[in-house]
Amino acid sequence: MSVEASPMAVPISPGRVNNVRLRLPAIPRSFLLSSLTVAMLLAAWIVVTQMGWANELFLPKPQAVWAAFVKTMTKGYQGATLLQHLGASLYRILVAFALACLIGIPLGVLMGVSRSSRALLNPLIEFYRPLPPLGLYTLLVMWLGIGESSKLSLLFLAGLPGIVISTIQAVTSVDPVYVRAAQSLGAGRRELLFHVYLPAAGPLILAGMRISLGFTYTVLVAAEIVAASAGIGWMIWDAAKFLLSDVVIMGLIVLGLTGVVLDLIMRGIAKALMPWA
Amino acid sequence: MMKRLLVTLTIATLAMTLTARAEDKPAKVTVGYLNLVNAQLVTKHLGLLAKEMPGVEIKYVKVGGGGDMLRAIAGNDVDFGGLGNPPTAIGATRALPIKGILVINLLDYVESMVVRTDKNITSLKDLKGKTVAAPFGSTTHYLLLQALKDEGVEPSSMKILDLAPSDIAAAWLRGDIDAAWFWEPNLDKAVKNGGRILITSGDMTKRGYPTWDIGVVMNAFAEKYPSYVEKFIKAECEGIDFWLKNPDKTAEIIAEELSLPLADATRMMKGTGMVPCNKQLTDEYLGTSAKKGKFVDTLVSTADFLVKQERLPKLLPRSDFEAFIQPAYIEKVIGR
Repeated sequence: MSVEASPMAVPISPGRVNNVRLRLPAIPRSFLLSSLTVAMLLAAWIVVTQMGWANELFLPKPQAVWAAFVKTMTKGYQGATLLQHLGASLYRILVAFALACLIGIPLGVLMGVSRSSRALLNPLIEFYRPLPPLGLYTLLVMWLGIGESSKLSLLFLAGLPGIVISTIQAVTSVDPVYVRAAQSLGAGRRELLFHVYLPAAGPLILAGMRISLGFTYTVLVAAEIVAASAGIGWMIWDAAKFLLSDVVIMGLIVLGLTGVVLDLIMRGIAKALMPWA
Repeated sequence: MMKRLLVTLTIATLAMTLTARAEDKPAKVTVGYLNLVNAQLVTKHLGLLAKEMPGVEIKYVKVGGGGDMLRAIAGNDVDFGGLGNPPTAIGATRALPIKGILVINLLDYVESMVVRTDKNITSLKDLKGKTVAAPFGSTTHYLLLQALKDEGVEPSSMKILDLAPSDIAAAWLRGDIDAAWFWEPNLDKAVKNGGRILITSGDMTKRGYPTWDIGVVMNAFAEKYPSYVEKFIKAECEGIDFWLKNPDKTAEIIAEELSLPLADATRMMKGTGMVPCNKQLTDEYLGTSAKKGKFVDTLVSTADFLVKQERLPKLLPRSDFEAFIQPAYIEKVIGR
């Protein structure tokens, strides 16, 4: 899926931050290879279902999934069309993700520049980061009820640690030479933050945001299990109850593709905001 | 000498083959039981299944509701299970590899719709604009929609939420919902906290919408170990007999199994109908292999309803539901 290496995989050395690195356009060969994988999967799916090797209850034919897609697009599933379900889910994801960024990035910067605040807040972040979302969710539902707030909180909590941790890493890996150089030129705290720390740490922060958006996305179905009546996650969950596997698979494909699109948008934003990355 | 040896060998081989055949039994039997009040709890508590199946590991798995049970069956996680009529209609329509072999309970006021007393809800029409919860795909979800339809109330005029029974209880205590149709033991928590029963599943039986739970067996298991299906039924029938003959002791068992006060357990028992095994073959219930009973009618009308709700793709012919109900095993057990 990812054509270029994720920025997380290549730690950006501070010395390169100011070099303008030209990104090579995606090589057609890799695109071809990716298409081949998709085509192979689809072919395997068609063969397995056409030959009757798989129980249709568990693996419906591609045509059936397509038919479910068309029907959900036009007639809807249980009172909402596919786009409405998608809209409900995207709203939840984007609001929660925006909140996670709004809180996570300043928190990460603070923890990155100040050792004491890092020591103060680290136990909290480190403790809840590995907790499984469903375990948290039970408590969130009891505290916040079955409405939108518990769903948003779960998604928010899933997204937050990724951002905080990568922001801390990004800020602490800024070359102290930059900071001292700026300080010797008379830069104050404000200038340091906006003209040194954030531009230098930006690419890593954005990489963290991408990962965090991914985490938020993965808990979507869990968040929509309790008392939702719209959303792609809910649709998948509800269809599974009635063993409508064509709707389940269609929903999963829509979820996957939407995830890819969201990631592409994030990368586009990164490129536009920080061409030096 | 040689001859004697040969004879001995033959006998030994024969004996080994015979024991091998006799040993042809499952290593483990997994029973998925629904988290509700019925005689399966008695069977479990008294270890009746283990008595019928010596040397077989018996595993009981508690399953929250019909939707989860369907998933467990689809995933081949259980050998025996229990399903209400809507999940059964779903399973039969989607050709799940199961057969219905036993009536495990009839649902009376053990499943009810509770409404918040301070909201002045005296009829289903008062639910307009309110928040109502039911576990989707279950008997109560089916009855809720059916009852609304009969009274001419649009489901879209209220907010109907899909919640598991335990979540309904939690949401009720928080005040998030105004009404809910679900079942004991969680139902009582809502009633005791500002709730009142508006309509029971027993009321709906009288209106022509009976709900019940049926014991099912996986087809593969039944083909491989038919005698163990009979053993299972025998054990469950013993549990049902115990329930009918010793109500006081049964209440104690249920209280212990579900960690409930004795008074609650007694009330829930009374709200549940239990059918003795010899009566299960009458037309009212399973019927006989030659002539299947009214359970088929219920399944057909439930499936028809779900098709209209767009929860099922198409209504299968009656014969498919007849094929699902399999009284043959219970016929053998009670010797008919």
